[in-house]
Amino acid sequence: MILQQPETDTMIEMIKVSKIYPPDVTALSDVSVTIGRGEMFFVIGMSGAGKTTLLKLLCSMETPTNGLIEVAGKPIHKMKGSALARLRQKIGVAYQDFKLLDDRTTAENIAISMEVSYKKPDIIRKRVIDLLEQLNLSDKHDTITGELSRGEQQRVALARAVANSPTLILVDEPTGNLDAITTERVMKLLNKCNTSGATVIIATHDGSIYRNTPHRVMELSRGRMHAMHGGESV
Amino acid sequence: MNFWFTVFRQVGRNLRQTWPSQLMTLLTVTLSVLIFAFFYLVYTNMLTIGDKLGDDLRLIVYLEEEPGPEMQQQLLRKITSFDEVEAIHFISRTQAYDRFSQQMSRNRDVLEDMPRDFLPASIEVVPLKTLRGLKQIKLFSEYLAKLPGTIKVQYGKDWIERFYSFTNLLSIVVFLSGSLLILTAVFMVAYTIRLTIMGRQAELELLKLVGATNNYIRTPFLLEGLVQGLLGSALGLLALYLLFDWIKDRFSGPGLFNLFEFTFLPVQTFLAIVLVSILLCTVGSFTSIQKYLRI
Repeated sequence: MILQQPETDTMIEMIKVSKIYPPDVTALSDVSVTIGRGEMFFVIGMSGAGKTTLLKLLCSMETPTNGLIEVAGKPIHKMKGSALARLRQKIGVAYQDFKLLDDRTTAENIAISMEVSYKKPDIIRKRVIDLLEQLNLSDKHDTITGELSRGEQQRVALARAVANSPTLILVDEPTGNLDAITTERVMKLLNKCNTSGATVIIATHDGSIYRNTPHRVMELSRGRMHAMHGGESV
Repeated sequence: MNFWFTVFRQVGRNLRQTWPSQLMTLLTVTLSVLIFAFFYLVYTNMLTIGDKLGDDLRLIVYLEEEPGPEMQQQLLRKITSFDEVEAIHFISRTQAYDRFSQQMSRNRDVLEDMPRDFLPASIEVVPLKTLRGLKQIKLFSEYLAKLPGTIKVQYGKDWIERFYSFTNLLSIVVFLSGSLLILTAVFMVAYTIRLTIMGRQAELELLKLVGATNNYIRTPFLLEGLVQGLLGSALGLLALYLLFDWIKDRFSGPGLFNLFEFTFLPVQTFLAIVLVSILLCTVGSFTSIQKYLRI
């Protein structure tokens, strides 16, 4: 089933994408979806439904077993070297396991995504301070991330994902360790990025963030995708 | 922020984080360069001494009897038919006595009772400067010994043989210490870079995911090898210079150090050692990057 995109300009095109892990664990099966530029898109489903695999395929952390994946018109699963690096600089990913450098400070962790695209130190400094403020982490600027709580680490990972003003933001379970107020702050930040033109894809099983949303919601179940609308199956 | 700024920052960070192993590698490279350069310095100075000794080399052919003018011409022809020579001097018995008497200086009175012809006549052969190497000198000496009327040929055989075997031994030591330098520089740097890569696997993976180019990830490691080579060789050579200076100061005065002029390595050799060390350490770093850095 191919789902229609609401906008004409396409950011992501997945056609009949499957991912089978050896020996024969099917994570995704014939997933086809088109996501427009500037769209906010929710991927929901139970644990093990294939949400994380889908995000990993979109940033080329994994390669598909079958099918075509295009990001910004480029077949990301076939890209290598500096072309892939350049494309990845435009993709911000907040991983479920955070992937923070535990021996570095919060500021250093956030700055890393801007350093690889050679942003000026002044710009990096300002951006880090601004993001920490938005995520209520201003007092953690110089704290080693290994010493932060899970919720704080999750916000640092999110700040790093959006720091370089990417055109595509992939977020895996962004509110898993957060209270209601912090969840609201996080969603506010993601909405702000989306309003600025970024395509945001959120993989979650937290109903509170996609229920009653005006954006598209799709459910992954046993590796297959089903369309929903505002959190309700269609 | 430009490429080189971030690369140097990464290098600084790596050096700070892994300083114990970096220090060990630096010390190893320094010691290897010091050992190699020390033996090389001794070797080159020995070669210079060898050259100087060669300049003073004389083969003395002792004769049964004093040759007449015709015999002298015959001997001259026979000697030059083997090889061109710098000079040939015929020393008569009385000339030999006078020389010996001069050498005895204050003790010459012991010669008073001796007849003036008790020393044998001889021929002093000064070989060409091109006659180098123990084998050539031996061959020439054997040829001279076979000349009719020759009692024996003397050229300080034992001393020259010992000198040449010493320089031969030194050349082997130079070769071995050079190999040691290559092994330590390449393997120690490769090992340290490998440790750094292993210790930073998570960071390298993350850098890749946030869009760092391969050059962004690789260059700091290559630079680390380069810095190890540069610092290690510079420190090794500096230590050698200080040692050389100390020995010169300590042993100045009458003795071996005054007989010959000992010199430090020329600038070209100095630079060559630094460049080769840099190259070797960078190669070590590169092999680790190729082997362990999966990007």
